[in-house]
Amino acid sequence: MNRYFLYLVLLNMIVNVIIFVPKILIEYRYNGAVMGVLIAIPIGIALNYFYSTAINRFPEQGLPEISANSKHRWLKIIHFGSIQLIWFSAGLITLVGFIDILVRFINPEMPKLALLVIYLAAIFLIIQLPTQRVVYFMEIVLFFNTPLIAFIIFKAFANDYLSWDSMLEVGTHIFERPSIKSIAAATYCFSGYSNLIIFNRVINGKLKVLNFIAIFIFGVFNLFTTFFIPIGFHGSDGANEYLYPWISTADSLRLVYSPIERVIFLFLMFYMSITLISVSVHWHVAYELIKGTFKEKVSKKQNLLILSIFSGASIAGVIFLNTLLLNKVTVYWMIVRLGFEIVLVAIFFIWARRRSV
Amino acid sequence: MKSLSNWRLVVIILSSIILLNGCGFKDIDKRFFVVSIGVDLAKNSSKKYLVSLKFAIPKASRDSPTEFEIVSEKADSISEAVRIIKTKVDKEVDFSHAKVIVVGEEVVKEKGNAGIYYWFTRRRDIQAIAWVAIGKPTALEVLKVKPKSEFIPSNALFLSLGKDGSETPYVISEFLFDFKYRLIERGIDPMLPIIEAKKDILEINKVGLFNKSYQKLALNPEETKIVSFLRKREEKSANKITKGKIVVVIDTHKVKTKYKIHTPKGKTPYIKVNVSLEGTLEEATRRVPNEKLSSYEKAAEKTLNKEIRNVLVKIQKANLDPIGFGLRYRSRHFNNDDWEEWKRIYPEIKFKVQTKMQIEDTGLIE
Repeated sequence: MNRYFLYLVLLNMIVNVIIFVPKILIEYRYNGAVMGVLIAIPIGIALNYFYSTAINRFPEQGLPEISANSKHRWLKIIHFGSIQLIWFSAGLITLVGFIDILVRFINPEMPKLALLVIYLAAIFLIIQLPTQRVVYFMEIVLFFNTPLIAFIIFKAFANDYLSWDSMLEVGTHIFERPSIKSIAAATYCFSGYSNLIIFNRVINGKLKVLNFIAIFIFGVFNLFTTFFIPIGFHGSDGANEYLYPWISTADSLRLVYSPIERVIFLFLMFYMSITLISVSVHWHVAYELIKGTFKEKVSKKQNLLILSIFSGASIAGVIFLNTLLLNKVTVYWMIVRLGFEIVLVAIFFIWARRRSV
Repeated sequence: MKSLSNWRLVVIILSSIILLNGCGFKDIDKRFFVVSIGVDLAKNSSKKYLVSLKFAIPKASRDSPTEFEIVSEKADSISEAVRIIKTKVDKEVDFSHAKVIVVGEEVVKEKGNAGIYYWFTRRRDIQAIAWVAIGKPTALEVLKVKPKSEFIPSNALFLSLGKDGSETPYVISEFLFDFKYRLIERGIDPMLPIIEAKKDILEINKVGLFNKSYQKLALNPEETKIVSFLRKREEKSANKITKGKIVVVIDTHKVKTKYKIHTPKGKTPYIKVNVSLEGTLEEATRRVPNEKLSSYEKAAEKTLNKEIRNVLVKIQKANLDPIGFGLRYRSRHFNNDDWEEWKRIYPEIKFKVQTKMQIEDTGLIE
């Protein structure tokens, strides 16, 4: 079992509990989300399997190293460019969404841009580190936060007010025709594997079947938590009224004898670092791919240019995307991402097979 | 050299935050914490509601009990009232500690007040784990009560509604998020505890049952206890049983409830309710020998069967469903019109109650 690979997938699962995935799934709860989730599980596992076994043929190499002596330079630029765009936007929507949550629940008087600057400073520090150190950082963050988040999720499962009848009621809509939006949202939980594009640098040795079994178990549990717990607390008819279903669910939990009675603040605190590292991982991939596009080593000026493009885009994102617009954009982004991911995995899988034969 | 320039960049960025930061954060001594909120109908006024906020006034020493201040305002909506209350106090009104929401009896009996219930969940700063209750005679009267045992404003309310303080089956406490859940979920109806203000004491032993918009029925304390049994939330209770001329009281410490909806074809549908209780005999008008305990168990089962069925039928007659039978029906049926079906079934459904009482002992003496 390779733990770094597991971390990458797990990180994506954890971060998706709060922001967009539950909102989208709950919106389609009567219109095919249950079936969508069930379909998404095999799709997610299959994509995981094909991509990671393909890239596993090149031990300790990221995509830039693998395709370093490629003769089709323009093809490489298009390929890298499209991946960068998707990865950068993945980090961006998480960042913008979470900044919105922080401003809304912690300090509504604080300007969003100030918060963004703090986040960007930390993110830029991390993404310029060597890949190995980004992984160490990710391990530390997950090590500190995951047990506590798991505790909160356990408290949610053990809560008296969790209504299993409401969850079952949504479950009875299993035979509805699945909607593409819910499938796209649910597969996003599994797509942490695709960070291997760069993070394969730290992975040596074969990925065993045990990895994929672990991903399957975590994925099913994660999707169940993401989708059904808010429904158990806020009702099959009422859960879709909430803007952030999981944040409101955390607010409905009560730790009577803890120093802070309201779980929401603990929850947000843990998620601050989880979001930070998740955005950093996505942007590290984008950053390294841009660096890999250039023929020579990147000069200082070029580096600064890349970072300023990153910050310019995120400032624009924070200014122009309000919560409702962001939710709308994200739904379509998820569909585009799913299609892109399937194409990416298929191309890479075929290419890797032909190369190694 | 490279890492040094990196650090320089970070310092520049971090120092620019100082420029950006406005007047976001207010100190704790410039905030006025609301501990409970009351909503009533306004009397002798053109405005609709009377909104009262109970503020805690922190004291420097712990010897004297903390004081409070209630500020009220009449307005057509809560939002307006809160904005005007802001002009009456010197500090920033902070709702993050508002743990009890009391709605006046007149408000809940009137139709068309759902907007104010939603206001609380819509606001980001009011916690979803605040308790909601009905205030009798008015919410303001409830807020004004200051029990002598209370050291922190509204703490008596927090303790008696929560399970940290007294535990009794007569209090059916309700959180804001659960109230909102019941307001909208088809198949389960809201219920709120009724708090009665009596001079220096708060009495909470009744429950008001709502349909989706207003309170339709209020249960008396004994019926409230039965509802509490059915909700499986509270297990400590005292049950009075009469057998012939002898009256015994059984103190329960374990109550388990299960129910199942049966819809046999061609026959009237029925709900089978199984309640199993365990307890000890606490009081008797005459000596009760241990050999005869089983006959008292039988008597207790008979009485409880009748009591529980009566409460269920009373609730059913009012076409309410606080236990969630409708939701249970919906969750067990795959067709899309199960809710319409249930609305036809519920008024004529029969209840078959089966109680199992186990008296473990008779206390320290026979």
